[in-house]
Amino acid sequence: MPRFNFWAVVMILTWVLLFVLLFIPVGSVLVSSLFDQEGQLTGANYLQFLSEPRFHRAFLNTLVVGFGGLFGALLLGSIMAFCVSRFVIRGGKFVSLLAILALVSPPFIGAYSWIELFGAGGVVRGFLRDWGINMPPIYGVGGILIVFSLKFYPYVYLMVSGALGNVNRSLEEAAEGLGLTPWQRTMQISFPMVFPALTAGGLLALIHAIADFGTPRLLGRGYNVLATEAFTLYAAEVGSNMSMATTISVILILLSMVFVMLQRYMSRRNVYHGNMINKPIRIQLRGWRNVLAHAAVYLIGLCGAMPVIISVIYSFRKTNGPVFQDGFALQSYERILFNLGDVVRNSLTFSVAAVALIVVVGTVVGVLVARRTTFNTSLLDGAFMVPYVMPGIVIGIAFIAAFNTGPIVLTGTAAIIILSIFIRRLPYTVRTTASSLRQISPSMEEAAVSLGYSPFQAFLRITVPLIVPGIIAGGMLSFVTAINELSSSLVLYVGSTMTMPVRIYLLILDGDFGVAAALSTVLLLLSGCAVYLAFRFMGRNEQALL
Amino acid sequence: MTRIALQSLRKEYAGQVAIPDLNLAIGDGEFFTLLGPSGCGKTTLLRMIAGFNSIEAGTISFDGTVINDRPPAQRNIGMVFQNYALFPQMSAAKNVGFGLQTRKISKAESERRVEQALASVRMAHLKDRLPGQMSGGQQQRVALARALVIEPALLLMDEPLSNLDAKLRVEMRDTIRQAQREAGITTVYVTHDQEEAMAVSDRIAVMNLGVVQQVGTPPQIYRRPANRFVAEFIGKTNLLERDLLRHDGKAVIELGSGYTLDVSGLLGPAASGRVQVSVRPEAVKAAASGLAAEVLDETFLGSHSQVRARLQSGEIVEFLEFSRRSALWKGGETVFLEIDPEQLTFFDAQSGVSIMQEPQD
Repeated sequence: MPRFNFWAVVMILTWVLLFVLLFIPVGSVLVSSLFDQEGQLTGANYLQFLSEPRFHRAFLNTLVVGFGGLFGALLLGSIMAFCVSRFVIRGGKFVSLLAILALVSPPFIGAYSWIELFGAGGVVRGFLRDWGINMPPIYGVGGILIVFSLKFYPYVYLMVSGALGNVNRSLEEAAEGLGLTPWQRTMQISFPMVFPALTAGGLLALIHAIADFGTPRLLGRGYNVLATEAFTLYAAEVGSNMSMATTISVILILLSMVFVMLQRYMSRRNVYHGNMINKPIRIQLRGWRNVLAHAAVYLIGLCGAMPVIISVIYSFRKTNGPVFQDGFALQSYERILFNLGDVVRNSLTFSVAAVALIVVVGTVVGVLVARRTTFNTSLLDGAFMVPYVMPGIVIGIAFIAAFNTGPIVLTGTAAIIILSIFIRRLPYTVRTTASSLRQISPSMEEAAVSLGYSPFQAFLRITVPLIVPGIIAGGMLSFVTAINELSSSLVLYVGSTMTMPVRIYLLILDGDFGVAAALSTVLLLLSGCAVYLAFRFMGRNEQALL
Repeated sequence: MTRIALQSLRKEYAGQVAIPDLNLAIGDGEFFTLLGPSGCGKTTLLRMIAGFNSIEAGTISFDGTVINDRPPAQRNIGMVFQNYALFPQMSAAKNVGFGLQTRKISKAESERRVEQALASVRMAHLKDRLPGQMSGGQQQRVALARALVIEPALLLMDEPLSNLDAKLRVEMRDTIRQAQREAGITTVYVTHDQEEAMAVSDRIAVMNLGVVQQVGTPPQIYRRPANRFVAEFIGKTNLLERDLLRHDGKAVIELGSGYTLDVSGLLGPAASGRVQVSVRPEAVKAAASGLAAEVLDETFLGSHSQVRARLQSGEIVEFLEFSRRSALWKGGETVFLEIDPEQLTFFDAQSGVSIMQEPQD
């Protein structure tokens, strides 16, 4: 049967793909970490990691920013979720939009904007100094935690507000009928129901926090985490130490793996499906409580979206070289147009190419995983977990380790950047395609077959139209991740393959904030369009952004 | 217009035998129901006829032609699914017309047939609705129209009413029966609801564990169940285990002290030994004298009530009470029961197989 052959070929090609783009790079990282600079097999790298205080600090710092980010995100996210889903908040849609803005803004823009406000020469800090108030600059661990909390709270907010919206009102009413006080009701009934969502959202924040490279790099000022250490060891012009960089990568993978497993476990426990009949109603608060709730929600939302607001404003400021002048002008955009057209073009072509690959391959593999359930496909499904676990910086280092020499040399090409984005985002599409296929009852296709269509025609005419909107929406969201990707491209780029996030990062390091802000605004505009299109295709569903 | 013959049919799932060896003949234009508890193999069998399940051994033939290897698309079947399986992106009319698109039918003709099919299930006024905007009953009507509009040789229905509420179920089964009669299509219907099966079927095959227990018209199956399983599955019954006694060439059964029935006319001359008697609730009525029992409770159901009573042997008997007493029995009252021997069925106590004499027509 030709049909059987087709899927067999897909299966083999998928494994080849995973082998080349995933197992070889990860294997290379592992192998490289076990050899010293002279090519001798050794465990010295790991011993060095265990013995050197510098690495102890980085490991501890990673945990500190991870858990700090988790708690900050939990605090802000749950306050916002609780207020928005339980009280009448004016402009609730707008608040959600602010959360989405925080989520899709490029990762390091946050750090940069807060520096603009509270850094050594920060606007707010300068303003306060004029009034005689001296506040410390935002650099260091405190700044990182503030930025992470404001950047990652939407994960908690979106997950928890989804869960809170599904808690059946009758349950709380039943508890009320049994004589429980409001506090007891919240703690004993509602809290256990949203606990899995809380932890899942918090762990998502933690995973992103320990993988984040840009924020500690820009704000840390000597506060190093594993991601920045790995990059320093890899990129140092003097004393670059690839085998130590890979050792740290392995440790980062292991660390991240623990939390990803935990996160998936918690998400699966999130099984309290409320019925749709008795949705909780929002209470209209009065007086100071109302003011407080609104203040909390808008403060969190606006602070989270502050980086976006700042970069949009600064992108229009008049500049003289890298220095801001009073007044507004389009100089920064002119400079993008005349000097940085190739960067924008690179970003667009790489992202579009990666997304096209992701959509095609991800859909075919998703169909394979959902419809051909055998031992091999469940193994495949498991293998697709791995890219989730890999922080971008590690994927970058792994691709360099694998494709610098040997049979396939890709370093310095556009292909290596496209493929690195492709492999990281592919699992998402495979999973969403597979799960949306599983939700379509097979009797739908059987009905078409019974009406006289061949199985392939039935798939094409009935099932495909049902999953296409989801696939397009997924592609748009992949585009958002692709075009904002910094950490792996930073390792993989050369002059001719520079992307917008890399350029922004370098501009910030050079102190050229005007152009950085303008470029960020362009990036944000592209992301915004993609999110808008995604929501058009599948209905407004903030949860899909997670 | 199709006769169906299933011969020595066998179905296995990963080495597990689901249907060991099954033979059935379904007549032209017949409404034939496969009835049994869940897991009895009825849906498996229906899907084998449709072509969605493989056949491990035996043959399925339509009008004498073996169609084992014919793909489902070429069997010319109409199928109605438990979950309706309407295409959510298409309106009611598009759903119904979908099967006509692959057939060489002019657009005008196709439109005419879609309208007619929707009208026959009283859905013409909702032809532009999407499935998501329809109630369960409306969706199932459209699904029925979609299956009938292609004028299939065979209509297959897999528990089509089980997702509907009780009142709608009764209404829909009349619609189904009527549409099937009008079209005269041979129909195989799967259900686990014995009342539904009796209401719609010409003949019923009662299945258990992949084996056909009995094939017959609804009255045959209800009144003369072939074995204990059928008696218990179809309707309610009280099973009493007794010795069959022989007195002067008569077969006699003693149901309680001093209450014996002559059942010679029902059983063959050889019948004897330990038996189980199936007593339908409607075969029992309270009378001035008879089998003594103590009332346990009475449940009022409007047209009649349901009474549970304990015999002196300790066995509990359920029966229907049609008298118009103003006060219900509370329990503890002594009653005497009269049992109509014509409505009894006897099974061998060991094998559970009916030992009734074949009725002489």
